[in-house]
Amino acid sequence: MPYKSCFALPALALRLLSLFAALLIVLSTSPLRAAEPKDSSVLLSTMTSELDRAFHALGHQPGADPTRQLPPYFMSYSVADAHQVNIRAEYGALISSADSHARIADIQIRIGSPQLDNTHGTHRASAVNSVVLPLTDDKEAIARSLWYATDAGYGNAIDNYLRVKTEAEVRAKEEDTSPDFSKEPPVVALQKPAPAIVLDRAAWEKRIRQLSAIFREYPDVYQNIVILSVQNETDYLVSSEGSRVVTPHVSARLVALAVTRADDGMDLFRAQTFEAETADGLPSQAELETAIHNLGKSLEDLRKAPVTVPFNGPAILSGRAAAVFFHEVLGHRLEGQRQRGDEEGQTFTKDIGKEVLPSFLSVADDPTLERYGKTWLNGTYTYDDEGQKAQRVQLIQDGILKTFLMSRLPIKGFSDSNGHGRAQTGRIPTGRQGNLIVTSTKTESDAELRKQLIEEAKKQGKPYGLYFEDISSGFAVTQRNSPQAFQVIPLVVYRVYVDGRPDELVRGVSIVGTPLSAMKSILATDDHPEVFNGECGAESGTVPVSAVAPAILLSNIETQRQPQGTARPPILPIPGSPVTDKAEAPNSESSLLGKKEAK
Amino acid sequence: MKRSIALLALCTTLVAPLCAAQATRADAEKDPVLAAMLTELDRSMSHLQLTGFQKPYFIQYRIEDVDNFQADASFGATTGIDRAHQRIARITVRVGDYKTDSSGGRGDSALELTSLDADPIALRSALWAGTDRAYKAALDSYAQKQAALKQVQTPPQADDFSHEKPVISLAPPATLQLDEQSWIARVAKSSGLYRTDPSLRAGEPDVQTCAGTFSARVTTTWLVNSEGTIVRKTASEYQQAFATSTQAADGMKIERSFASSGPTLASLDSEDKFNKHAVEEIASLTTLRNAPVVEEEYHGPVLLSADAATDTLASVIGSGVTASRPPLGTEARTTGPFASSLHTRVLPEDFTAVDDPGLTTYNGQALIGAYSIDDEGVPAQPVQLITEGKLVNYLIGRDPIRDFPQSNGHGRAGITGPPHSSAGVLKFTASDGKTDADLNQQLLALAKDRGQSVYYVETLGGPLVPRLLYKVSPDGKRELVRGAVLDDLDQRALRSSILAAGKDLWVANYFGDIPQSVIGPALLLDDVTIKRANEKNDKLPFYPPPN
Repeated sequence: MPYKSCFALPALALRLLSLFAALLIVLSTSPLRAAEPKDSSVLLSTMTSELDRAFHALGHQPGADPTRQLPPYFMSYSVADAHQVNIRAEYGALISSADSHARIADIQIRIGSPQLDNTHGTHRASAVNSVVLPLTDDKEAIARSLWYATDAGYGNAIDNYLRVKTEAEVRAKEEDTSPDFSKEPPVVALQKPAPAIVLDRAAWEKRIRQLSAIFREYPDVYQNIVILSVQNETDYLVSSEGSRVVTPHVSARLVALAVTRADDGMDLFRAQTFEAETADGLPSQAELETAIHNLGKSLEDLRKAPVTVPFNGPAILSGRAAAVFFHEVLGHRLEGQRQRGDEEGQTFTKDIGKEVLPSFLSVADDPTLERYGKTWLNGTYTYDDEGQKAQRVQLIQDGILKTFLMSRLPIKGFSDSNGHGRAQTGRIPTGRQGNLIVTSTKTESDAELRKQLIEEAKKQGKPYGLYFEDISSGFAVTQRNSPQAFQVIPLVVYRVYVDGRPDELVRGVSIVGTPLSAMKSILATDDHPEVFNGECGAESGTVPVSAVAPAILLSNIETQRQPQGTARPPILPIPGSPVTDKAEAPNSESSLLGKKEAK
Repeated sequence: MKRSIALLALCTTLVAPLCAAQATRADAEKDPVLAAMLTELDRSMSHLQLTGFQKPYFIQYRIEDVDNFQADASFGATTGIDRAHQRIARITVRVGDYKTDSSGGRGDSALELTSLDADPIALRSALWAGTDRAYKAALDSYAQKQAALKQVQTPPQADDFSHEKPVISLAPPATLQLDEQSWIARVAKSSGLYRTDPSLRAGEPDVQTCAGTFSARVTTTWLVNSEGTIVRKTASEYQQAFATSTQAADGMKIERSFASSGPTLASLDSEDKFNKHAVEEIASLTTLRNAPVVEEEYHGPVLLSADAATDTLASVIGSGVTASRPPLGTEARTTGPFASSLHTRVLPEDFTAVDDPGLTTYNGQALIGAYSIDDEGVPAQPVQLITEGKLVNYLIGRDPIRDFPQSNGHGRAGITGPPHSSAGVLKFTASDGKTDADLNQQLLALAKDRGQSVYYVETLGGPLVPRLLYKVSPDGKRELVRGAVLDDLDQRALRSSILAAGKDLWVANYFGDIPQSVIGPALLLDDVTIKRANEKNDKLPFYPPPN
């Protein structure tokens, strides 16, 4: 069999490669990345040699049918080597505590040419085939697993390429004739793999259990779950273009979710998440306890709050709410691939150079930013899932749309990746957000912003304006592949009365109308942006993201009452509540059978 | 009819000794899980009622503590290690009465993950949440049931729920204890035999998959119901499995696999025995690659080894002897192939079948399907199902069918699943069993008689898919063939086409959600169809494997 070493790259590629290696050293500042770029890992070397062997063997076998067994023009192996610890508690007790380790390889094979390949149109997923890899550095077993999955993936890629070609011949010319894959220089960046997870399991189990038990003080919280999830992952990528990238991703996340139901059947939930690089970086137990108490208290208040009535008028979104709003409503629509394809809304496709936001607002996505103030940003990464270096991208400058979030899928007018090709394991990367950062040049203090809200309401002849303190994170609503990904559900909304009455909490608010037009009605912002860390789901799967925004005052937002459930709240009080213990005390002695007869 | 009633009475007396060492509710309440379950059960039975609606007449809580371990390996290296420990509560609420209740539709039960800690409030909270949901769903189902009953002329053929005597039985809880590292290593080694065993070197490049798995599960179940039943019981099952595959030159997929399963670690094959078996299977890939494809279609005598025959009996007969409630408005007794077969012949006259979950070993082999109390809290009973070839009884849980108003302790449930009637240890015997040598001789005699080749099935891969199938010529020559599928191996064939059966019985331990053991003899059948499977032959690998 013809066997070529992976170093047998064209001269140009080699030159670029050393240039990138040099750049990497300059940029390596954080302790995690101050690694010696060593290439001794069995996993990486086996991936490299096996990829090279496959790339030069496929389509070049003696006796292969030249019309069907076409050689790939691009291949990559990316392996996610992930260690996880998950601890979960409900109702004040542990329900699971487990660790896991998995290595999954995504094999990408492209056949045809960058102009037209097997990923075209609706065939995008056909380039990726996944396989579970050995957890140990057993070269022979890793190579054999990669071979088996590559062979299967190649068959599928060929099949799809032939269908793409046929479809291209029978169909009218496409609106966007961009190629299917961008040309990018190879990247070599060998960072130090993620360290092993260091966690005092027993201590954290105790902490999570205690946090969940706080909800016992809020007997109307019918369900709660507190989860600690720590993940240390190293991603390895090698490609036939000569890229070799090793990137560590470490994160710790604590999620508290609580649910209640109003007497009229409306389900109400609140969730709060905390993120840090490691579990040690999470807030102290005392801070977490306060946050949980606030969640419990807020749900008890919410279930007694009056139901909203349809409203059309001014509103303030808190920084946290505005961050989610910008991520869901604006950020997703700026993903490159949404500007291409028959099934996309293409909201902003023709708006480059036009004003899409008030001129005092600018929006960038900057995955290279690790912290905003003191807050660690969940959407941080150094290289994207196509091995491209992460870049800060100025999407909107002074209200004017400049560009999109680009993966290696080109669109009309934008032929290159800008380091935003992201995907969950098993999916093909698409343009996604990392850290979306909204900045403003028209800032006011919170007090002034509130004053302006009241003035605007008066001007519009409304008895009150709305204050959105919390709207649901992507965490709760983004089902995979669901259009819900763009939806925002207000969770905590207050009426701010013009006549000086105290603010009033309302429930059941749902935003209607086009949220985008609401954005154009932003009048001012406050002066201290807030961070929302979360996980975002879309076609290419779930990826960690952050959004940062100041509170915003809008002249016009349209809301109505959200559809609600009809089920009654639980009939008996929750165990452990003062009411319950009183009601059941006389019964605990009597026997089951005795009681049945007594009925 | 009289006969089956007499049998039932007999079964009941057989079971009595099981309940002899009677534990009490006070004993049960020393267990924090049972104490929490009983407290919440009492509270729900006395107070749970939606104004204007009925109270529940029956509530049952079943909590399963499932301790799982699994190690997977491929091509000689570990690919996954999974240790999971969870407790799942299944809450069942019935509204109405034993004759007509809310059961049968979807959602008469609710599931909740629950506390691993001995925390009474957390345990009760999960039960409380599930009880509330299940009760509301039961009210809804009960209304639907009442409406559905008005739509049919024929009334239900049996009550909705059987009356059973409450049982209190407290087995000590169990935990999973094993040397994980040694099993991880064992599984990895087995999956690498294709490249480490010297005898397999030549065929190594053709091996496309070679995988091993070890699974262990220990379950402690706590069950209480409003009739007074309180049960704590345990179950364990272990399995080491192996699978390998290749393609023949014509693209045909060739697969071999086997498993060693049992209720204890000691009952599994030793590492040497297991690996020897694995080596034989890998070696057989080469033999099978070179074997001719089976003839296009064949009708005639087939000898099923005891291994293959037991799988066949399990799927063809085992699936028919379980009782389940027929659709509303019909006169059917039960569902399935034997719905109308009571007192008719389903096997030759010399056949007997008994399901006896109390049988823990057979011929020194531990039985994975044995249990003492079922998942509805009813003590397991031995059930004589087939006598002189005739079906005389069904395996039944607490869902009665016509003429069978009681459970015989066969209401079994998968983890988190609802109980349904299911076999435990199902044993088939033929009074006139022959030795393997005699059966082979008889098969050969048939070949000679008819002047044509006949077939011998050594092992099956699925209900009708032979993995090792031999063509036996009248001159006694045996030739391995590939690419076959069996046909017409159904209830009719087992009723009227069996010429002879074996004397030695095979034990099949089926590891799974509901572990079962089936014990049966080899079968010589007069008329079975064998034909080409004609499955899609995928392309051979586009490039060679690494070396």
